[in-house]
Amino acid sequence: MRDEHMKMITLEKVSFLFKNSNLEIIDSISFQANKGEFISIVGPSGCGKSTLLRIIAGLITPTSGRVFFGNKEITEPNRKIAFVFQDFALLPWLTNQDNVKIGLSRSEMSDEAKDKKASELLDRFGLSGFEGYYPNALSGGMKQRVGIARSIASDPQVLLMDEPFSSLDELTANSLRSDIIYMLENKNISVNAVIMVTHNVEEAVELSDKIVVLSDKPSRVKEIIKVSGARPRDKRSKQFADYVDRIYSVLAQD
Amino acid sequence: MDFIALVLQLVLDTSASWVRMFIALGISVLISIVVGIYAAVSPKAEKIILPVVDILQTIPILAFFPFALFVFVVILPGYIGINAAVIFLIITSMVWNIIFGVYESIKTIPREFLEVSDLYDFDRFERLKKIYIPAAMPRIVEQSILSWSIGLFYLVTSEIFSVGASNEQVKYGIGVAFASLAYQGAIPYLIGIAVFVVFVIATRFLFFRPLEEYSTRHIRSQQKVQQGNAPRYERALLGWVSRRISSAPMIIKSNRIVKGRKHISRVPVVEERRDLKILGYAVVVLLVAGALYTFASNPVLLGYESQVLPALAASFARVWLAFAIMLAISVPLCVYLIFMSKYGRKYMLLFQIAASIPATILLPAIAVTIKQGELVALVVFILSGIWYLIFSIMASVRTMPQNVFEVSRIFGVKGTNAWKNIYLKAILPGLVTGALTGIAAEWNASIVAEYFTTSGVTGTTNVVSSVGVGIGKLLDLSLAPGGQGIGLMMVALLNLVVMILLVNTFVWKKLYNKVTKVYAG
Ligand SMILES: Nc1ncnc2c1ncn2[C@@H]1O[C@H](COP(=O)(O)OP(=O)(O)OP(=O)(O)O)[C@@H](O)[C@H]1O
Ligand SMILES: [Mg+2]
Repeated sequence: MRDEHMKMITLEKVSFLFKNSNLEIIDSISFQANKGEFISIVGPSGCGKSTLLRIIAGLITPTSGRVFFGNKEITEPNRKIAFVFQDFALLPWLTNQDNVKIGLSRSEMSDEAKDKKASELLDRFGLSGFEGYYPNALSGGMKQRVGIARSIASDPQVLLMDEPFSSLDELTANSLRSDIIYMLENKNISVNAVIMVTHNVEEAVELSDKIVVLSDKPSRVKEIIKVSGARPRDKRSKQFADYVDRIYSVLAQD
Repeated sequence: MDFIALVLQLVLDTSASWVRMFIALGISVLISIVVGIYAAVSPKAEKIILPVVDILQTIPILAFFPFALFVFVVILPGYIGINAAVIFLIITSMVWNIIFGVYESIKTIPREFLEVSDLYDFDRFERLKKIYIPAAMPRIVEQSILSWSIGLFYLVTSEIFSVGASNEQVKYGIGVAFASLAYQGAIPYLIGIAVFVVFVIATRFLFFRPLEEYSTRHIRSQQKVQQGNAPRYERALLGWVSRRISSAPMIIKSNRIVKGRKHISRVPVVEERRDLKILGYAVVVLLVAGALYTFASNPVLLGYESQVLPALAASFARVWLAFAIMLAISVPLCVYLIFMSKYGRKYMLLFQIAASIPATILLPAIAVTIKQGELVALVVFILSGIWYLIFSIMASVRTMPQNVFEVSRIFGVKGTNAWKNIYLKAILPGLVTGALTGIAAEWNASIVAEYFTTSGVTGTTNVVSSVGVGIGKLLDLSLAPGGQGIGLMMVALLNLVVMILLVNTFVWKKLYNKVTKVYAG
């Protein structure tokens, strides 16, 4: 019963098919993300993970089923739910500072206050000095930091991430992973649930409280695996390897 | 004539022409932004705008110039009217590729950017300001550069035309100047060309270069390495030519599917094709039926038609003869440049400079030296159209996988075998595109090249150069003093447009589809 009060995002039998091709992509997916939880979604390539995440973000309307944020149904994008894109989606013609300011579009702040907040955020992600640069001048890791800064600018409670680290080198990805976990676990930062789509099973085991394993088209929930143990997790432990093996074997089953 | 005075006069003339050009470009860009964005965001508008723009860019707009002249001069007082007509004509030459440039930039905006604007709840104005316009800016500038070259052709031509075919004339303008320079000997004429080229180059570097740098400031840091050595003009031109073919509405493929509340997904390509085809045929059938009926029941129109058809046939023969010569020159030339020469790129630069001088600027000189009407027309046709062929062939080969070139080396393919199986096949797609646009350019040129007089220069009408019969000549004469007037002109235009649409549908589109089918698979 306590969980009921803590639920952040709830999916109820969400299905989706593309109208023009009549192709069913997602078939009745349900799961729940509670306060403080890190959820990963893994599944075969092209199974509909990104589509699912976009539905949660309110960018796409499901064909049937419902998605809730707390007790409120999600029907359109909400400033308390932020999205981090795989390819960053920074607007190349805006400076990094202006890109972060985009994240404050819905806020009532004055322009100066937005500027101030944007530079603070960039500073927090180690990007002070780059405010006036255009995104193309930055490395991939730096771009994704700008992307994350933009997404948390509006103090969201839920962070949705679509393969956020897959185009980064391993070292950069690692440091960004710990940034995200820090934000999730730190009570002073608004983020208190993360849902991440990933191809990387190790990454999922390393970060998640729950891993939602999806099947191929149409995508259904094969199994939801709970991962226990405090983070950071020892990737060389037997337990870690067992989790990884288990997820691979679920993925491989028909 | 005093050298200084001549140069000053030429600078004044060219400046007057340039003012017309800048006004036309400004208006074209505004129109393009509105129309291009509208077509890209509204699937309904897209269905109408794309085919219409596609048709408008292949019919010889110049043919409408006498008509536009007529209308504008009737509506507006003399000098303003004629300038409005010239500017209007330049716009009709400049605007299409910029519209497609805007349209394509908007269509290729990554889906994520639109999602960002959804996530952060941009209103219409913010979308325009933060997403659409910045996204389209680099292409707008790139296409404007190209439009400028195309516009120069129309500028000079319409100015010359305003001198030659009507009582109205533009007072100051480089085209006007050239019409009279041709009678003052080689030196003044060459000085005129020099002034013109200086203006072209100055505009390129003082106006377009800074604009280009500004519009791509955010891209440059990244792309410097890959593109540094390809001159932008060349890329713009090549891009334009390849775009011109891919812009045909039936060929546009958009893999990007925008879903969500505010974006409606694309209709699959195949359906669009069939719709358009049926629509196209229906329009043609209706037009033909309507025209036949009207003509059969009206002896005056029938009389016009009996003048128009032979003229059209004569011009048709001329255009295709010129085209055959263009092919005979450009195919071996391009094959040489692509497959055999190490200095292909250097020649391209030379071609670009040559291509920036409108063929019509040379027309008075050609007319005065050759003196043989048919030959004059043929030479001007070739000069107007051949660049399209050359640039288009070179552009399409660029996108060809490197291994095509390597195959001929590795297997030592030589002689007729190489020509048949490699060279010609490789350049075919570009050739089809170039032919389509090159022939459109020829038809445009026919308006000035078939009949050229001095009425505006000397006050009396001296025919400098004239073909026997031709649609261009007929159009020119219909509105000249003592001509048969607007009725004949309308009939001639109708015939011309129908003929071009028929050739487009039954020759070029068919050929193009065939070629792309093979090359895509
Ligand atoms: N508009 C559309 N119409 C039809 N099918 C589509 C459309 N958009 C995407 N698809 C298909 O839907 C499926 C799911 O796409 P989605 O991007 O959600 O998958 P994904 O699991 O995120 O893939 P990846 O692992 O490559 O990121 C894919 O097979 C894709 O081809
Ligand atoms: Mg995906």
